[in-house]
Amino acid sequence: MMLTLLLLPAVIMFVVSFVKQERVKYLLAFTSFMILIPIVKLFLLSKPYNILGSYLIADELDTYIFLVSSIVGIGVTLALLTLDKHVKVSPNAYRRFYRFFAIFWVGLIFSILSNHMGIYWIGLELATLSTVYMIKTNYTAAAHKEAWNYMIVGAIAISLVLFGIILMYASAKPILGEEAMQFDVLLAHAKDIPSPFLFEMGFAITTIGMFVKMGFFPMNLWLANIERASFYPVAALFSGILESAVIIGFFRFSKIAMEVNYDHLFIFVFVYTLLTIFIVSFLIYRAKDFMRLFSLSGVEHMALIVMFWVSGAPFAALLHFGAHAFLKPALFLSSGVLESNGKYKIAGALKGFVGIKGNTFLFLVSLFLLAIISLPPSPMFFSELYGFGAMITTAKESNHILAMIGAILVLLILLSLIFYRFISIYQSMKYEGETKEKDVYWSEVVALIVFSVALLALIFPQTLEYLDSIS
Amino acid sequence: MTDFLIGLFLASLIAALFTTRLYRLLLWYSLNSLMLGLLALGIGRNIDDNAMILTGIVTIVLKAIAIPYVLKNLSQKFNFIRHIVPEIKVQYAIMLVPAILVFTFYLSEPIVDMIHTNANYVAISISSLFLSLLLMIEHKNVAPKIIGFLSMENALFLLGVTATDGMPMLVELGIFFDLLMAIVVINLLFHKEELQI
Repeated sequence: MMLTLLLLPAVIMFVVSFVKQERVKYLLAFTSFMILIPIVKLFLLSKPYNILGSYLIADELDTYIFLVSSIVGIGVTLALLTLDKHVKVSPNAYRRFYRFFAIFWVGLIFSILSNHMGIYWIGLELATLSTVYMIKTNYTAAAHKEAWNYMIVGAIAISLVLFGIILMYASAKPILGEEAMQFDVLLAHAKDIPSPFLFEMGFAITTIGMFVKMGFFPMNLWLANIERASFYPVAALFSGILESAVIIGFFRFSKIAMEVNYDHLFIFVFVYTLLTIFIVSFLIYRAKDFMRLFSLSGVEHMALIVMFWVSGAPFAALLHFGAHAFLKPALFLSSGVLESNGKYKIAGALKGFVGIKGNTFLFLVSLFLLAIISLPPSPMFFSELYGFGAMITTAKESNHILAMIGAILVLLILLSLIFYRFISIYQSMKYEGETKEKDVYWSEVVALIVFSVALLALIFPQTLEYLDSIS
Repeated sequence: MTDFLIGLFLASLIAALFTTRLYRLLLWYSLNSLMLGLLALGIGRNIDDNAMILTGIVTIVLKAIAIPYVLKNLSQKFNFIRHIVPEIKVQYAIMLVPAILVFTFYLSEPIVDMIHTNANYVAISISSLFLSLLLMIEHKNVAPKIIGFLSMENALFLLGVTATDGMPMLVELGIFFDLLMAIVVINLLFHKEELQI
């Protein structure tokens, strides 16, 4: 029953996308709201709740990530209502976008709620493949090229993930049989795995696959190029939903790897993410358009989430994840409006908004831009405080306090660089350039309001309490 | 028999790396998939695993027959360039292939005592993965890149069959479904759509 409720909106969306009428877009947007019904029900149920035997299980972690992804989905579908006002999109392409969005959603349901490594991978692959066509909705040579790029690099990344999964499965199969595919069983028997080397090799390969998919070192620019070439809602879906599906996989795999050998996991992931932030901060410094700027900033934040998670601060990681998942799609959707009077123009982008709609939009975008660089009371400010604190605590226990303080100092310098760049861009948007009147529509403003309310809800004591209970 | 089939699997992949004609590449991919399917059938019969036998049959039908046929049709429909010259020169590729093989056998040495099956099978799976990546890298045209991606899928399947005596049936079917979805997406990507606004 629960699975039917979860899949129903996607099925309706898929079927409705074949109807060739202009007004169908309102129905498509409304369908995305239906996903909230099963999610609210999932929150009320006692957890872990078996949705489909031991294959799909709702626990605190995946219910939270699923809720965040659903809110992003709702925001994106609202903004999609006026996509044709900012970019050239044919009605056919618009409907096909929704058709693949429905398949994408099915993939996400399976990957986020799965308790099975194989099903997780199948869901992720389905979501990845469906996004390929979403990129191509933009009928330009650049988008066509990037759709192929995504297909190829995405396929390599996802293949690495499966390769690692098979090795991890092989490492535990002698003692667990086919149950070695289940996250909870594997976690419970992590210390009994007969060949930890094989498991760690599998984990490293899977992690590299996931990191490639999130745009980590050395594949820092491929995601930014794709998001630049496609329509802005695609970028919002990538940063707010697809990356959530990837990161929940990392959370689950790393929990097992922590039990197998925490030191190996920590050093491997910490160095990898530090290197990623190092490269990305300089790329952000040189970014000359909104899409690449937000995309690279997304890579930086994902790296921070991963870093906090392995440093023993799951609370900070989850808070940072939630904030990033709301802020980044909101900014990507805003860029559709900001760029509609000429692409790549940063100077004066925040000028020319009039009336209630315009001023609300202006206020919210300013708020998001300042929140993404962790200015208080942004949830990111708190998550970074908790995260860095946890790093010090972990280092104290391992007698590597000096190395950790050094790493944090490097991180702070890199984050200051990013901070400086964002402030400079914000000032340029607000005080430089010409004033040209820009059109903004209610659907976009409402989408941004949804994101800002969700962001605000993240710092409610009840939410923080819930996140603390997950960790 | 298993060793013989794995040998042919690897040989067909290496031959694909040096091919300069598209249809010949499809043939090598088809043979590669056929060897994989026969391998699954053989191992499935040895360990009396009906799920693996079924997987073997699906592999032969889907990967050795249906996918090459669909790709050949697509290539005719969209006039693919059939003369596909690898970017890496033959003299370099001929050195690169054994280097990859030696490296992967070295990489799999520590796991010899850890898995109950032959560790060389794992080494060949990893080398097939690298060789498939090489196939994707060495061509500029899209069609060989697709074959490279499909060969990667075969390498993963080989690892699943040899290192774990088969993945759970549900996962195998899911992977096949995703493969079909990939073909649908590839087909859509080839369509040159007109801008109708």
